[in-house]
Amino acid sequence: MEPIIQIQNVTKTFLGKDNQVEALKGISLNIEKGDIYGIIGMSGAGKSTLVRCLNFLEKPTTGTVLIEKKDLSAMTEKELRHTRTEIAMIFQHFNLLMQRSVLDNVCFPMEIVGVKKADARKRAMELLEIVGLSEKAKSYPAQLSGGQKQRVAIARALANNPKILLCDEATSALDPTTTKSILQLLQQINRDYGITIVIITHEMSVVQEICSHVAIIDNGELAEHGTVEEVFTSPKTPAAKKLVFMINPQMAEMRSKRCIRIVFVENSSFEPVIANMILECKAPVNILLADTKDINGIAHGQMILQLPEDESTAAKMIHYLRERKLTVEEVDSYVE
Amino acid sequence: MWNEIITYWQQEGTIMTPMVSYLLENIWVTLYMTVVSTVMAYILGLPMGIAMVVTASGGLRPNKVIYRILDFLANIVRSVPFLILLILALPLTRIIVGKAYGPTSVIVPLVLAAAPFIARMVESSLLEVDKGVIEAAQSMGASLWTIIWKVMLAEARTSLIVGATIVLGTVLGYSAMAGIVGGGGLGDIAIQYGYYRGENSVAWMCVILLVVLVQGMQYIGIRISKKTDKRIR
Repeated sequence: MEPIIQIQNVTKTFLGKDNQVEALKGISLNIEKGDIYGIIGMSGAGKSTLVRCLNFLEKPTTGTVLIEKKDLSAMTEKELRHTRTEIAMIFQHFNLLMQRSVLDNVCFPMEIVGVKKADARKRAMELLEIVGLSEKAKSYPAQLSGGQKQRVAIARALANNPKILLCDEATSALDPTTTKSILQLLQQINRDYGITIVIITHEMSVVQEICSHVAIIDNGELAEHGTVEEVFTSPKTPAAKKLVFMINPQMAEMRSKRCIRIVFVENSSFEPVIANMILECKAPVNILLADTKDINGIAHGQMILQLPEDESTAAKMIHYLRERKLTVEEVDSYVE
Repeated sequence: MWNEIITYWQQEGTIMTPMVSYLLENIWVTLYMTVVSTVMAYILGLPMGIAMVVTASGGLRPNKVIYRILDFLANIVRSVPFLILLILALPLTRIIVGKAYGPTSVIVPLVLAAAPFIARMVESSLLEVDKGVIEAAQSMGASLWTIIWKVMLAEARTSLIVGATIVLGTVLGYSAMAGIVGGGGLGDIAIQYGYYRGENSVAWMCVILLVVLVQGMQYIGIRISKKTDKRIR
């Protein structure tokens, strides 16, 4: 597959009054056509700066960004504006024009490229149909809920048939149910139109839900990247582990004993693995963390279990789980 | 106040005295000076305000030199009292209008005084526009002009209309000083008859008419701004 976005050794330094802030410290990353690529990191890690380097809303201090092999920094102002019409973006706070109706908001990017008004309106209505808001065409953004505003923003982003869609914390201001529906919409867009999607988020669940690949940004550096499965199953760096395990300080006092982490990737969600293991070994386990979901009949997610003190029972349990093709690892050392 | 006016009318034996009809005629002179000056001042002040926002640090085209010059201009003119400006501007008025008296000649100093004030009002209205919306327009590949016209001015519409209402009231107040150069209008009459001749009843009638004018403009301005605002529903 062709990389549609190539980030090569990008750094970004912000000059303060009497200090310099290095937001990005030499990041290189390729994003392939048709991917849904997650970029995840704690707040302040530099991920929002990185995504703004992809359409040059922020110009990198050094390094290059290539979109379809074309160097953004080598472009004239006009060429850059043209390229931007092919890279749509949606935002955490939606950023709709509050004085324009929903329909006129969706028409706005088409006005920029000079589409005829009647054609733009027709296309805008089609787009509102796709995002399920055609009955709100005449409403104003102030009359919509957060999820509806983001749907309008998505319709607006699709107006000029972009090749890339950048999502900057697009679900961070939304509740879990709305987040889920927005993510499903993004997935549908990726599938139906082959638009490459880059998702900036601080929530691992968003990445798990729809991303094919993920990059973990920590303190301005690329900590880890790969397929979501790779990174999620065996995180290597402390930053990745922190995000994947979602460590909760309240777990501290229960940590003294032996803990294991189980990752579900290919097991049937209809098989009661843990319950069967308990019946088989005749000893209880303590579930410290469980985050699993059923995706098309396959169990996905992770669990952290506290095993019985008895060594042989614990070993038997681990053996049982491994036999069921689950990835099992001891997590004591990972916990801070 | 009312006593003086009523006594005046009783003495004259009619409400529609020649002075009253003179006052009513001069409403138009005052409105002429105010509205024409404000419109012309916007022609200068609006681009100046836009330029200040665009060239400010963090603006769309930061430019320290241009911003500093505009900022300085906006401050210096506003720090000169209007009465002084009116007199200082006399030579310029003669060049532009051809004479230095009458309502039209007052328009020159009024524009000079109002334009920097308008620039400041426009600047503060435009700064209220959500930075995120401007960023969104940039991400769509919008040009500078599109962003100024369709994002900044359009989104700041309500605030700009409220600003224009305030400007109209201020210019109306300034126009009252036009009497100094024989500018005419209600303010002029209040000074000539009320102050110099001690006819308090005339001064009060002028004041009442000016209050009605300002209230009317304020009412209409706020009504329009509310009607065009799509954020509240």
